[in-house]
Amino acid sequence: MNNPHHLNPTSLKSRFTTRFLRALTKIRAQKPISSSSPTEIFRRYRRIKAAADKSMAYSVRSRRIWSRAMLWKLRSRSYRRQDPCSGRRSGKTNQAIMKKSSNENTTTRREDGVGFVEEADELRQLVPGGETMNLCNLLDETAHYIKCLTTQVQVMKKIADFYSF
Amino acid sequence: MESNAGTTETRSNVTVPDGGEVAAFESLQFTDEIHRLISAPATDNASSFTALLELPATQVVELLHSPESVKLIVASAPNVEDFKGSFHFPSNTGLIQKDARFSVFSGEGNNKNEKSNSPEMTSKNSSANLEKAVKSEPAETASSLPLVSDPTVENRNIKRKDREKKVKGSTKKSKTATNERLEDAEKLPYVHVRARRGQATDSHSLAERARREKINARMKLLQELVPGCNKISGTALVLDEIINHVQSLQRQVEFLSMRLATVNPRIDFNLDSLFTPESGSTMDGGNFPSLVTPLMWPDVQVNGYRQQFQHQWHFDTLKQPIWGREEVCNNYVTLENSLLSYDSSANSAATLHANQLKMEL
Repeated sequence: MNNPHHLNPTSLKSRFTTRFLRALTKIRAQKPISSSSPTEIFRRYRRIKAAADKSMAYSVRSRRIWSRAMLWKLRSRSYRRQDPCSGRRSGKTNQAIMKKSSNENTTTRREDGVGFVEEADELRQLVPGGETMNLCNLLDETAHYIKCLTTQVQVMKKIADFYSF
Repeated sequence: MESNAGTTETRSNVTVPDGGEVAAFESLQFTDEIHRLISAPATDNASSFTALLELPATQVVELLHSPESVKLIVASAPNVEDFKGSFHFPSNTGLIQKDARFSVFSGEGNNKNEKSNSPEMTSKNSSANLEKAVKSEPAETASSLPLVSDPTVENRNIKRKDREKKVKGSTKKSKTATNERLEDAEKLPYVHVRARRGQATDSHSLAERARREKINARMKLLQELVPGCNKISGTALVLDEIINHVQSLQRQVEFLSMRLATVNPRIDFNLDSLFTPESGSTMDGGNFPSLVTPLMWPDVQVNGYRQQFQHQWHFDTLKQPIWGREEVCNNYVTLENSLLSYDSSANSAATLHANQLKMEL
């Protein structure tokens, strides 16, 4: 029973890996890899990237602002793509909500009493959902986001190495 | 009884360890003095003192140079018994036990133990009754006040109160606000900030200071996360570094997903079973067998895999006695070997890599 290589099944890494691999197989199953036209590849790349982001966001659930924002973004994007009519409807309402919340927080340039506003803004653009965070939360979310990104990169690298062997 | 301490000030006041050269300078004289003292006639009091001096001079010099042993104030008393009061040894456990015999130190040390604020100092202080050297350690190292400049022993009792007040006033923000200077802080029950000397104590600036401290704490965390950020000083540069790091990570994710899109998957493996004991979770498309061992799932349902396997040879051959419930590494390898005996190169490669993947993960 003592398995030194046992993965912690509840760790972020394992959660992400499971989900991502599932999504990968789904994507692979949809289309055979025979076609190697650039558009196909590009399309698949987009899908894989979205799957990676989605799996990561799902592994974090809604515990973090950035994961919630990312999930919302992905969902709204997929809705819009699937059905333009419904996308418009839902997108409008959702966007209205998002805009309202973001307007409340970001119409005034955030001068939190510290001197680095430009970097903070840039960071806000990088971290999903960063526009609605004050500096304190932004730093928190950035730390967690960096941790999750590194996990993601690790796992994807291993998978890619595995496949390209 | 200790009237000689006055003569010490000229050359033996080691204050804050900001001057390494000062410490070195003192150490030279200190060692000379120690040698002289060792050769001094032994008295009753000196019995314990020479026990102290059993320490080789080099060790004492080391203690001088160690960052915590700040306050070595040497009294250049020719009489040995006078040293009893004026030696301030650093927080060294060996010395402390010997020092504890000195009632003077123990009396002093207790008071100052409570006053010390910085955590690293408290850990040292708590080890024993420390000398009065300790009392000014934490505050001074934090705020570099030259409080040690008056080590005169006869004035000790008088000056203690002044020093205490100064210590209190000059300590940096600490969470142990018990001082009368913090009237405003009591309005904010959740945060206790010790006001610095000469700083405003109204609620606005206090709250702002608390926020700034929070932000600084988080920046420190981020600095640890991002490699290569420790050396950078200045928050703007650190933030730039963090931004670069996040961007590079995101770009790496994109590259990797592009790579995964272009790679040709010769093997497709069902890793559901890797992590969950579910059975029968079917996946469309060519599902090759799960070539991973049941290391993870002690109660695997063998039937579940049967459903997923589309080729007969997968499961029958895998369902060897090696496929045990409680596998260990060596069984892992044997399973690998048994699989390698089959012709399917992809199969073996998959096992190998599945193993690798799992182990690496």
